[in-house]
Amino acid sequence: MNAISIAVDLLAWAFGVHIPIVYTVLGLLWLLPTLEVIGVRTNNQHFINAAANMSNYLILIYAIGGVFGTIITVFLAGLYPIFTNAAGLLLWPVWAIAIVSGVVIALPLIGFYNRSRGRLSMRAHIIIGYLAAIFATVIPAMFRLVFAVVNYPLGVEVIKDPNSLIGFDLVVKNYAELFANPTYPPLLLATIFGALALTAILISSVYDWKWDSTKNEMYDVVSKFMKKLALAFGAIYVIGGVWYLYEVYQYSPTVIWSILGHPPSYLPSAFYSVYQPTLILSGWFYALIALGVITLITLLASFRVRNKILAAINFIIPLSMVDIAEVMNLVAHLPYAIVPPVSAAEALVNNYGLTFALQVANTLKASTFISTLDVLGTYISQYPALLYLADVIFVFFNIMIAVTIYFGLVWRSKQSS
Amino acid sequence: MNYGAPTLARVATATGVLMHVSLASSFIGTILLAITAEAIYIRTRDKDWGDLAHTFAVISTIIFGVGAAFGTLVEFGLVTIWSNFVAQMGSAISLPFFIELFAFLFEVVILPLYIFTWGKIKNEWLHWIIGFFAAFGGVWSAYNILDVMASLSMRPPGMEIIQLQKPISGVISYIAEFQSPSQIWNMFWWGAQVFIFHGILAAIILSWSGATSVVLYKYLREHKQYQLKILKLTAPVITALTAIQGFVLGHYQGMLVLEDDPLKLAAMEGLFWSGYKNDPLLSLLAYLNTTGKFWGYYSWPAAIRPPSFIFVTYWGFMVIGGVLLGAWALGLTLTITYPLFKGAFGNFILKSGQYAIGILAALASIGGALTTESGRYPFIFVQADPNPNGPPNITGIPVSAIYNPTFTPTPAVVAGIIVVELAMPALAWYMVYLYLTRKVKTSGGGEH
Repeated sequence: MNAISIAVDLLAWAFGVHIPIVYTVLGLLWLLPTLEVIGVRTNNQHFINAAANMSNYLILIYAIGGVFGTIITVFLAGLYPIFTNAAGLLLWPVWAIAIVSGVVIALPLIGFYNRSRGRLSMRAHIIIGYLAAIFATVIPAMFRLVFAVVNYPLGVEVIKDPNSLIGFDLVVKNYAELFANPTYPPLLLATIFGALALTAILISSVYDWKWDSTKNEMYDVVSKFMKKLALAFGAIYVIGGVWYLYEVYQYSPTVIWSILGHPPSYLPSAFYSVYQPTLILSGWFYALIALGVITLITLLASFRVRNKILAAINFIIPLSMVDIAEVMNLVAHLPYAIVPPVSAAEALVNNYGLTFALQVANTLKASTFISTLDVLGTYISQYPALLYLADVIFVFFNIMIAVTIYFGLVWRSKQSS
Repeated sequence: MNYGAPTLARVATATGVLMHVSLASSFIGTILLAITAEAIYIRTRDKDWGDLAHTFAVISTIIFGVGAAFGTLVEFGLVTIWSNFVAQMGSAISLPFFIELFAFLFEVVILPLYIFTWGKIKNEWLHWIIGFFAAFGGVWSAYNILDVMASLSMRPPGMEIIQLQKPISGVISYIAEFQSPSQIWNMFWWGAQVFIFHGILAAIILSWSGATSVVLYKYLREHKQYQLKILKLTAPVITALTAIQGFVLGHYQGMLVLEDDPLKLAAMEGLFWSGYKNDPLLSLLAYLNTTGKFWGYYSWPAAIRPPSFIFVTYWGFMVIGGVLLGAWALGLTLTITYPLFKGAFGNFILKSGQYAIGILAALASIGGALTTESGRYPFIFVQADPNPNGPPNITGIPVSAIYNPTFTPTPAVVAGIIVVELAMPALAWYMVYLYLTRKVKTSGGGEH
């Protein structure tokens, strides 16, 4: 086990836990005020009660999701110091906007939304809920920009610098240009609607499970509504996903090669050795499509047949899909940390020569970002016991997270009752 | 050469760090109070202690929630303002950050579990053990972060500073590296242990002093028995910890500064001269004789001298504040424990202590933090090397080399950052206030 695989594995693990949680947070933030709106308009208290119950869950899950976000940052800083250093220098306004909106503004708003239920008018309460959702959405809006830059660094210029150890400097001259990244809009669209679809189907499956035990009408009403939302949002998620694949195909040859298993047709064969991915993830991609089809079938079936087995399937498969899709998107860049665009590679060859272009490409590889200055990764590769011990502890805490969420829900539901 | 960084950026960072430290200290103090109170309750079955344990546990959870969010803010501040520090994290000091993840997991998973399982576990000692591990997570987390801070002030053995002939990407011009990867464990060398436990004790003293002042204030107006019980717990502990802090850990900390950073020592002790001269009082404290000589502050070039105000933060805030805090805590301990000390002395201690204990603890803590961090300026990973021709050579990575050159702070931006940095702890304390006042209402004006 070398430093690179350690760094990638640890990051993928933290990411795999973090993403479904924050997807749920984002979904709940938009869905809860929506439930309240529906409840008020249809004069159906079930929707309002459901929003109240799930609001308690929101606080707990936000905290745990936030912690794993911090873990990702520590992994990035500790194991990819050069990448994080460069990302901080190049994209600091992006981090700053995300943190101001997502933590400084959204966090108090979420707390206020949770605590002000029944103390403010429903209209004011709903407005606070949507405000919290808007500000929290700025977090993925900013972080997805980083993913888009990693796919295709539009707006990031490579300037030859003989005084630099790596021979060049990366510079962002116009931050607005970053937002013109063609992979950004579909990625953001798929993220937001993926979060909404995932949350809707998770709620429906939990409520189907509870309905099977209690026959409580609230579970029935809200579950049916959530299934319809899951279908609608899921359709938009699929559209966003296909659009994203199309743009990645056009602009990020390594990523699409990894996902589809073959290089894009426009890529000159001379560039094959430059853009060849480390991992061929086409098996993951086809598994993702298969799971999507199964989810569609089981979701449609659950309109007619409701039992705990179907509810469990509708809970587990969408979570697996999100993890597969996100981790696949994360590691498909390898060997690159930032995939050099074909057009830029050609321009660099023309302007500075082939040697310099290859030097830039090699420097943008994850191995450079990881192995350079990475004392922890080097140490772990020499003494893997530290990693094994860490794995055991991480597994333990993953279990403890589930236990804590369980006790949290039991405690909250008793408080509510 | 300019070794420093823009003052505005430093002020914003210092404010953020101090506010985060105040929240972290408050969390450690309140969770320790919670498990102490719960242990007393389990042993004595005194309901007051059971209620106090729950109250402190909830307060610690509120503070932890806001503190964790604030920690994220500080972390992004680090990446944004001090971007090139991240390269040092990777090259040398990632181990304590890696271990910190486990401590953080302890806190964030076990602390809610401690709250959610309150009254649900039949074996009360099992519940107490959950609380103990939540507190352990908090202290362990502080341990790791203080370890990083220790390395900034005192370069660990085996760490080398390399000035790159060619900067990486035009900005990373210095790198800290250990001579071999296994030396990353040197981050936890004995000097760092002194620094760490000095910091942890300071956190407990600060938070328990704050709690003591608040409870004493309430006690003088309400005279509730449970308030007196808290004071009888906290006052002697503050007295004892302040003594340990001053006479044991403070002594070793001072000896480390004496050996490893004579320039910081000169600034702290106000040795405002040039050359190698005798200072009888400092010599007595350091060497137990009056003939010792020390390099004066002006022996080093102005560009690498720390700000001279740390003489005030050290002596005026930390030493005098700490001594007075110990005196007041001792006075309070005697007053509430022995009838002999009641009367004029007791009245003075009680009436002044409600304000003095918290304020003195805050002054001593702020003074200590500013002395430590400003005292190493303008370097991180400071080391003093012998120099036969003059004062020891002070080396390290200049702060200018870890600053984000693309970030230009303006007064308006920094003012906005500081408002946020002050607002978040204020929010935490407002939520604690709401929780405590709600408790009073729901119990019909009862005791808690």
